[in-house]
Amino acid sequence: MNRCRAVLLILALVVLAGCASSGTAKPKPSELNPGQGSGPYQGAGLTPAQPRPSFTLTDTAGKPFPFGTTTAGHPTLLYFGYTHCPDVCPATMADISIALKRVPAALAAKTYVVFITTDVKRDSGPVIAQWLANFTDGAKAHFVGLRGTQDQIDAAQAAAHVSLASDEGQTHSSELLLYGPDDYARVAFLQSTTLQKQIAHDLQVVAAA
Amino acid sequence: MRWAAVAGGVAAVVLGSAGLVRAAIPQHESTGSGAPGTISVSGAYVRAPAPPTDAAAAYFTVYNTTGQDDRLTQVVSGAGATSTLHVESGGSMVAAANGLVIPAHGSVVLSTGKGHVMIEHLFDKLTAGQTVNLELDFRTAGPIDVVAPVIALGAPAPTGTAPSSSGAHS
Repeated sequence: MNRCRAVLLILALVVLAGCASSGTAKPKPSELNPGQGSGPYQGAGLTPAQPRPSFTLTDTAGKPFPFGTTTAGHPTLLYFGYTHCPDVCPATMADISIALKRVPAALAAKTYVVFITTDVKRDSGPVIAQWLANFTDGAKAHFVGLRGTQDQIDAAQAAAHVSLASDEGQTHSSELLLYGPDDYARVAFLQSTTLQKQIAHDLQVVAAA
Repeated sequence: MRWAAVAGGVAAVVLGSAGLVRAAIPQHESTGSGAPGTISVSGAYVRAPAPPTDAAAAYFTVYNTTGQDDRLTQVVSGAGATSTLHVESGGSMVAAANGLVIPAHGSVVLSTGKGHVMIEHLFDKLTAGQTVNLELDFRTAGPIDVVAPVIALGAPAPTGTAPSSSGAHS
């Protein structure tokens, strides 16, 4: 099932990349997965929709953060990665940060951005906090950095239906999940040159649904 | 060409004095980018690291207009102690231990999510507006130097089409 979805996402990414390079000024609503439910989204549709997972991890201040109950009812972007990453992780977080500045301030203020480290050895609370600060300048959204034991991180990834990270967290899913106020994720994103636009667009679609 | 070499030397001195390029790479003469029968490099840039992470990623496109495959064997950077070529494989980034084949009459793009040169143990802070010297070593074509601008974390990749391989300045 996961493999199926991975393939769909990869296909979606290829299609998106194709759109981006064709120079189309205004991307149309997604036609990535016809019949797969991506309908109004520019990201890749998730079928079936995934319920907001419940798990409790530790925030950068060392306090427990019950993800399910704290973020319930809020648009939420969930991403697993690690800070000692020069490429996809900071690019994705930077894209989120910029996308949030392109949506109405009231929507941004309601939105949670949750980064969960897959590098349980090196990513301490202070390291994650300092890293996240690169992306939160002027941000209205709630940025949260979470960590836990390997078992807790594995369980959180399983609950969010993303593939488990390996290699000390450095080989990890690059999937960015977007949960809506209805507590379901119907769309996810992979790194792309149009990621900022996709997030800004789909966040507003999800919030209005 | 002479002017370019002089300019390159001046740039290396200026950058060196800023502590950016500890091992300034000599600017080689090379054939013009895009000319038939050459290996050329364009669109090089470096994304600034996100502190406290002490690692940055360099990106570029290599064109091979020769009729023979070539191989990018290693990349050396003036910005950090180690540079490792990473390419996407099966959904994850892996070190390209044997380098990267640049197919005859083909090109290879290193871009976010597809591949990069991971520059670690930076000699100094990297911020947007600076430049980084990269030496790309090819098995057949030999070394090619490029000057890669540093872009901010959230900035889009530069889209300029001007080749950044040395010797191609006019």
